[in-house]
Amino acid sequence: MSVTVNGKPFDDQPAPGQCLRTFLRQLGHFGVKKGCDAGDCGACTVYLDGEPVHSCLVPAFRAEGREVTTIEGLAQGGALHPMQQAFLDAQGYQCGFCTAGMIMTAAALNQEQKADLGRALKGNLCRCTGYRAVEDAIAGRRDTEDARPGRGVGHNVPAPAGPDVVTGRARFTLDVAIDGLHHIKLLRSPHAHARIRAIDKSAALAVPGVVAVLTHEDAPATLYSSARHETRDTDPDDTRVLDDVMRFIGQRVAAVVATSEAAAEEGCRKLVVDYEILPAVFDPETAMQPGAPRLHDKGPQARIANASRNLVAEMHGATGDVAQGFTAADAIHEGTYFVPRVQHAHLETLCAIAWIDESGRLNVRSSTQVPFLTRLELAHVFGLDRDKVRVFCERVGGGFGAKQEMLTEDIAALAALKTGKPVKLEFTREEQFVGATTRHPMKVTVKIGARRDGALTAIEMHVVSNTGAYGNHGMPVLEHACSEAVSVYRCPNKKIDGYAVYTNTVAAGAFRGYGLPQTGFAVESAIDEVARMIGMDALEFRRCNVVRKGEPMIGLHEAPDDVIYGSYGLDQCLDLVQAALMRGDGDEAPPGWSVGEGTALTMIDTVPPGGHYSDTYIWLEADGTYNMTIGTAEFGNGTSTVHRQIAASVLNASPLAIAFTQSDTDHGGHDTGAYGSTGTVVAGRATQRAAEALRDKLLDFAATQSGVDRAQCKLAGDAVDCGGKTIALGELFRIAEAFVVDLSAHGTTNGIPRSVAFNVHGFRVAVNTTTGEVKIIKSVQAADAGTVINPMQCRAQIEGGVAQALGAAMFEEVVVDTEGRVTNPSFRHYRIPAFADVPHTEVLFARTSDELGPFGAKSMSESPYNPVAPALANAIRAATGVRFYRLPLKPDRIHAGITAAG
Amino acid sequence: MKPARFDYIRAADLAEAHDALAEYGNDARVIAGGQTLMPMLSMRLVRPKVVVDIMHLPALRGIEAGGNGIRIGAGVRQAELLAWPGLAEHLPLLNAALPWVGHAQTRSRGTVCGSAAHADPSAEIPLCLLALGATIELSSRRGRRRVPAADFFTGMMTTARAENELIEAVHIPGKQAGSGCAFKEFGRRHGDFAIVACAAIVTAASVRLAVGGVADKPVLRDFAIDDGKPLDEALDAFAWALDARDDLHATGRYRRELVRQMGRDTIEEARRCHA
Repeated sequence: MSVTVNGKPFDDQPAPGQCLRTFLRQLGHFGVKKGCDAGDCGACTVYLDGEPVHSCLVPAFRAEGREVTTIEGLAQGGALHPMQQAFLDAQGYQCGFCTAGMIMTAAALNQEQKADLGRALKGNLCRCTGYRAVEDAIAGRRDTEDARPGRGVGHNVPAPAGPDVVTGRARFTLDVAIDGLHHIKLLRSPHAHARIRAIDKSAALAVPGVVAVLTHEDAPATLYSSARHETRDTDPDDTRVLDDVMRFIGQRVAAVVATSEAAAEEGCRKLVVDYEILPAVFDPETAMQPGAPRLHDKGPQARIANASRNLVAEMHGATGDVAQGFTAADAIHEGTYFVPRVQHAHLETLCAIAWIDESGRLNVRSSTQVPFLTRLELAHVFGLDRDKVRVFCERVGGGFGAKQEMLTEDIAALAALKTGKPVKLEFTREEQFVGATTRHPMKVTVKIGARRDGALTAIEMHVVSNTGAYGNHGMPVLEHACSEAVSVYRCPNKKIDGYAVYTNTVAAGAFRGYGLPQTGFAVESAIDEVARMIGMDALEFRRCNVVRKGEPMIGLHEAPDDVIYGSYGLDQCLDLVQAALMRGDGDEAPPGWSVGEGTALTMIDTVPPGGHYSDTYIWLEADGTYNMTIGTAEFGNGTSTVHRQIAASVLNASPLAIAFTQSDTDHGGHDTGAYGSTGTVVAGRATQRAAEALRDKLLDFAATQSGVDRAQCKLAGDAVDCGGKTIALGELFRIAEAFVVDLSAHGTTNGIPRSVAFNVHGFRVAVNTTTGEVKIIKSVQAADAGTVINPMQCRAQIEGGVAQALGAAMFEEVVVDTEGRVTNPSFRHYRIPAFADVPHTEVLFARTSDELGPFGAKSMSESPYNPVAPALANAIRAATGVRFYRLPLKPDRIHAGITAAG
Repeated sequence: MKPARFDYIRAADLAEAHDALAEYGNDARVIAGGQTLMPMLSMRLVRPKVVVDIMHLPALRGIEAGGNGIRIGAGVRQAELLAWPGLAEHLPLLNAALPWVGHAQTRSRGTVCGSAAHADPSAEIPLCLLALGATIELSSRRGRRRVPAADFFTGMMTTARAENELIEAVHIPGKQAGSGCAFKEFGRRHGDFAIVACAAIVTAASVRLAVGGVADKPVLRDFAIDDGKPLDEALDAFAWALDARDDLHATGRYRRELVRQMGRDTIEEARRCHA
């Protein structure tokens, strides 16, 4: 078949049934991405004879004799297409995985379509940006500044990967051609609870192209957790690479390795598995009862809190006397709130490539937030020396916590070790829903009492968290859920009980907010109710009761730990949101709709507990520029931009003069990982320290060389100014080389102590009480991010967090039926927000500077998500008079609530 | 995800397509735009032995406006119809509804007749064909017949098409002079399939409402013209009588509520348009 791609003729035969997307990638056009393979997400958009199409829906043979244009062919004659330039100027992307498709669609819009972007872009999903940056790009707004000397911290320096992202050159995990690459496909369990009696591999092995079938008999006996944390005993050892017990529908049964994906899939279909069906339990409260089916029959070495009651963790904390507190209250609200499963829905599905190199070392190229921790665990599971394992990532297409798990690397490693072949495992979108992880569903009963004067008298909270079939993140998510949501309030009497329970459902895991969105929904809704009962404005009520700088933060534990107020901006955030709502701007409510306002707050520790480590190595290059290695991974959070800005500020250089590579265990040192909102506050601190150490070395050496007093020497762009006499950095490098002086430096951090960051969200909504439809007519979030290193990026991070949270608040839910099966495993039935679903959010920053973070910065990755759902529920409460206890706030649910309230 | 093996027949003409359908019957699937068939093949929701490609056939091309209305061939893509200069004048209801169909990218490939053939109960095109009193032209080796839309859509993704037939075209009566129409859709999110979609056509003598997304196929009701209350009551009765389904996205009860509300709004808008 002959086809022209980007003006170049190709002659190649597509496989039977192959779609254009995979065919184009096979021809080397890696800018064509897969987000869903079902025509829902638009990441694979290309032009067929000039018209935008989802290439996953076009049979490859249909391209015969036609002209295909991919993102790689959009730029003409070496000049970017104006839309590519616009996406650069506005930084209309974060992780960049959807960007190629987004630009292709946007570049084909006419003026009329540009005037109705909600409709024009409904075939392109972005999970990171919240679409505001996309809108800015299409509108031709410029949000970035040129990178030049002096434009370090505080400037809107563009992301280093921008030119690669907008041209499709950015390399994500699978964007690489590897000779002899083999493919892994997983057979997944059809049963919620079963023991494998036997697996007949013979028919599968007879499929042409199938190289190996791996089952529990091939997998190491070593137990581990897919969750990755700095200390591996944070999570229970309850998982095997391949197990002989199935604990949820979708658990991997076997892996088939073959020369093509089609053969591997066919091999999976040919496997004959004999299951002994076991009784299953799906409801966490039932699972806690005596006599319930037990999921994990494991001893104390597995670190399961109480295996006989299916409890992966339980925790209890109290201060004061809540009974007395409630007696003293004039108003008490008690309610049980339910927060369902949601999925991260990062556009790049989980994937990894593994191979054994000539030296016999296992290499894993993975879509992970935690390459260093994954290496350690692979070494542990397979009994390898850690030097025999390398894990690295290229650009990662979104994560939101989902990639703080080892869900592909283990099986890829097993396949590479067993077959000696380079192997690839790529999750389908369906596998993301049935075989990856979700947020922990929680049932939260909260009881809050207050006096008429506005003082809280007691807070009691009872949390049941459903961790699914495995305990990854079960304990720490519960612990986090039981902490800041309550500890942000000053109250003499508190009692918290929490349970994380195994059930025969898909495992929950790390998810943006890490437990706080769930309990925050309950607590912030309850705070709103209590304020109503005592007739006080909810923001005023919060102002009366939130902790102030220096006061103890008491949640589960009374004893202070390593969390300090590195800065405090909650008061400012409350004021900013109140002022923004009082301004009365925003959209008009449609006539006849009911209007209401609601707010909610969140506090979050800036670093996970127990230490979080990072190393940066930086050195001067011969040409007078700098280079560094950073441990933390870039997955759309913008940290690579920030690290360059930090180094540029310390070294008084242009950010462009600082090259870097990142997230590769071969760089040495250690990095706990890009989770817990640490990419700036922890890893950035390491970069700051490395840059400071290098600056000192450079100045010391320049002072010695020039004979000028050290105090008179300062860095000035690409030179050192020694009291008026300049030495070019390239020159300094040569002198140092001659004297064998090392001009490199190292910076490290351990993430101790930690600070707190704050966010407050406000909504004004209009509700159509006859249909239950909700329109957000004003959205504002104030954030205490400390020093904002890159305002444009930080704003986008908040907008993206708000958008993702709105999805969870308004329509997202992974539905599990009564047999434990996920019933909506696709983007068509699990709806994430599209352009038209996301309102503008006014983003405001408190003016604070943190004493711990680099240049006074605090974390701002997870927390923007946290206050959104309760603020929305509170606004709907104000508009309708109805309190909603269950997310998502779907129109049919709102309609039913209003109807029931009469 | 990889489809099961199938043979691909690029029909040289209609006769070859007919022959293939006669030979393979239900084991054959016609592919036109492929926007629904491709994912169904990949997910193995359908496993045909042969896929018969008709998209390139000149006989199926073209939108023709004549005295008896508008004929839209099976090869006409939704984007093509949207761009047809006569759309607003002759088919104002489709002009309002087509932008709701899929995404720009799927409309570039998806066909009008393909959507009719798939007969998704939430899809906009079957709803409009029903409201407009369109007929579906089916052909096979044995001959040709025309089936009114009201008889063509028989249930959830099922139609009156026989195994050996393909849709050659749809025929839609042109706009009646002095009529007004309106289209409204309610989805959980923009671009989703409709939870409820309403199409209304109002003339001096009649009020017609068709609803999609509610039952297992689009449903139509003609109301006697009478200003004010009686229509309201008739609409309520219509809504409550609908065999509304519960699914992941909404309850049947909620869908009926929406029909009452949106039906009214749609008829009112059609009336304004009529006036």
